[in-house]
Amino acid sequence: MKDFPLYRFGVFSLALRLPSTMTQAEIKLCSLLLQEHFGEIVEKIGVHLIRTGSQPLRVIAHDTGTSLDQVKKALCVLIQHNLVSYQVHKRGVVEYEAQCSRVLRMLRYPRYIYTTKTLYSDTGELIVEELLLNGKLTMSAVVKKVADRLTETMEDGKTMDYAEVSNTFVRLADTHFVQRCPSVPTTENSDPGPPPPAPTLVINEKDMYLVPKLSLIGKGKRRRSSDEDAAGEPKAKRPKHTTDNKEPIPDDGIYWQANLDRFHQHFRDQAIVSAVANRMDQTSSEIVRTMLRMSEITTSSSAPFTQPLSSNEIFRSLPVGYNISKQVLDQYLTLLADDPLEFVGKSGDSGGGMYVINLHKALASLATATLESVVQERFGSRCARIFRLVLQKKHLEQKQVEDFAMIPAKEAKDMLYKMLSENFMSLQVGCQ
Amino acid sequence: MKDNINTLVSRIIELCHQFPHGITDQVIQNEMPHIEAQQRAVAINRLLSMGQLDLLRSNTGLLYRIKDSQNAGKMKGSDNQEKLVYQIIEDAGNKGIWSRDIRYKSNLPLTEINKILKNLESKKLIKAVKSVAASKKKVYMLYNLQPDRSVTGGAWYSDQDFESEFVEVLNQQCFKFLQSKAETARESKQNPMIQRNSSFASSHEVWKYICELGISKVELSMEDIETILNTLIYDGKVEMTIIAAKEGTVGSVDGHMKLYRAVSPIIPPTGLVRAPCGLCPVFDDCHEGGEISPSNCIYMTEWLEF
Repeated sequence: MKDFPLYRFGVFSLALRLPSTMTQAEIKLCSLLLQEHFGEIVEKIGVHLIRTGSQPLRVIAHDTGTSLDQVKKALCVLIQHNLVSYQVHKRGVVEYEAQCSRVLRMLRYPRYIYTTKTLYSDTGELIVEELLLNGKLTMSAVVKKVADRLTETMEDGKTMDYAEVSNTFVRLADTHFVQRCPSVPTTENSDPGPPPPAPTLVINEKDMYLVPKLSLIGKGKRRRSSDEDAAGEPKAKRPKHTTDNKEPIPDDGIYWQANLDRFHQHFRDQAIVSAVANRMDQTSSEIVRTMLRMSEITTSSSAPFTQPLSSNEIFRSLPVGYNISKQVLDQYLTLLADDPLEFVGKSGDSGGGMYVINLHKALASLATATLESVVQERFGSRCARIFRLVLQKKHLEQKQVEDFAMIPAKEAKDMLYKMLSENFMSLQVGCQ
Repeated sequence: MKDNINTLVSRIIELCHQFPHGITDQVIQNEMPHIEAQQRAVAINRLLSMGQLDLLRSNTGLLYRIKDSQNAGKMKGSDNQEKLVYQIIEDAGNKGIWSRDIRYKSNLPLTEINKILKNLESKKLIKAVKSVAASKKKVYMLYNLQPDRSVTGGAWYSDQDFESEFVEVLNQQCFKFLQSKAETARESKQNPMIQRNSSFASSHEVWKYICELGISKVELSMEDIETILNTLIYDGKVEMTIIAAKEGTVGSVDGHMKLYRAVSPIIPPTGLVRAPCGLCPVFDDCHEGGEISPSNCIYMTEWLEF
């Protein structure tokens, strides 16, 4: 019985992450982000919560040596931006907890803004930018701000109409890129008891993208007075009732925020479409894009497959001006379903054929391709060949690696050890 | 044929006994006219090697004379042993046999075996071939046999050396063939089904192309080409599909056919390795405030100046 080493693909085991366990480098990064966006005090409180986990107000003040007032202000900012959440515990103690991964998402703000620009042009871009920089805003506030900003950039005499901005806002809500924030529930029966120390905010799922019926009439104004905030400077305060608007706010209490998960879903869809374009052709990728678009709101972002779509439905939903016949579409769908990529699957025959996108399979393939790309660029194409080989066969002895990869023994050995030393491979001792 | 040789050998011995001064080839031929010259030669060589005959030159030509019976007797024991070993080696055919295995089969002590092997080798009746499986292992086979692939390593080995350049060239040629086939299919602008099907090539097709190229000195089998195509799959450049094929279809094996197609990667090089950090050898030592840090990294500065 000879023991021989087997090579296998080293799975990177991520340490089980508790909410407050981040690496030193991550904490440092959060600190820099908070500092850059909100300043020193917010940074101090934020980083403290990231390091220590859940804490009540007084403990935070005590441990950081900050005045209660300042801690409250900092927490307001952090909560406004969804970076900190709170929970009411037994005996009325309220504890604050940092949402670490959400802090890191701040790195993606430019990408979210740019994505909106590509989908909904400048108007959409500014709406999302305002929401990200302010955390939460009412629709009327967003519309006014954006109209003003757009008017600044227009030729003399021209202004941006509120209606146009509203329309874009509605489209963003319809496609779920912006969503309503949880709010204080309206109590039917007034509870005579003392109010809770902190409100529990709720949102009904069907209300999440419901745009209030507003008639926002007006046009953007050019900045003339100096008492308004300088345009573009991020002020993380609760929305000010602007000085020149004396009317009551029609949608007071209905706040909106950017829906980051929706943007992530969009990035995922883009990656899938791109992969299909690279492997197959433009037409195939457009068909996949259409299918994903049809599933945008009906399929949850963590689902393994989209809802089945019939070939008839897909044909009707193809972009205007895309001139392929129904038969050709069916051919493409068959080819997509048969392709070794397995991004598309056929789930039935009704409606001309029912098709799904295999989301989990697509993501797994993209992840694998990313790993292979890292190995290729870091170690070279010979190592990449060995890596793909071991990935496919799961376990291999050194001799088998040499034979399958057709790489001379000495070279193969060097490459295996190199990847082993950098943790891309692991050794497993097996018995014959 | 073997029986013939043995009969022939015995017959020649008899003849030699009859004519103790020696016989010529002609005598043997007269005695057994139906035996071909080659067979005679084999028989005579065997007897010579086994030390039962002496080779003499006379003015009429070559003479074969029975060896001194005294000596013959002394050697008889060892003659039989040599005969046995020779036969064992002969039985191993072109795969050859390891000396240890000869010992098991003959039950002779190793020292004797080694002596006999040396003897047979010097008489050019057998040869030792290094096995590619274990570089220290030598197998013995008859002198004029072509060693089997399992011993020499097949098409990819030449004298124990792995021909990596040759493999590399084949890899590139196969890929070029598949690439141009895929391109032709794409440019044909036929309907998508036809386009896809014509972008594939069977292993048989690729094999034929490579053979016709004539770049290989050794004969390559379809399986050899398939091992090369597999390396292209591990390179991420080619994908394979297996389809059912009717028995008898050219290139099909066991009712299946392997089809290959050149493919492009599904993603461009990933973000991490497009930044200097992804390829940096001192990545783990880099931190703000340290000797190696992002702010004093020259590669970072260069990269950001695009």
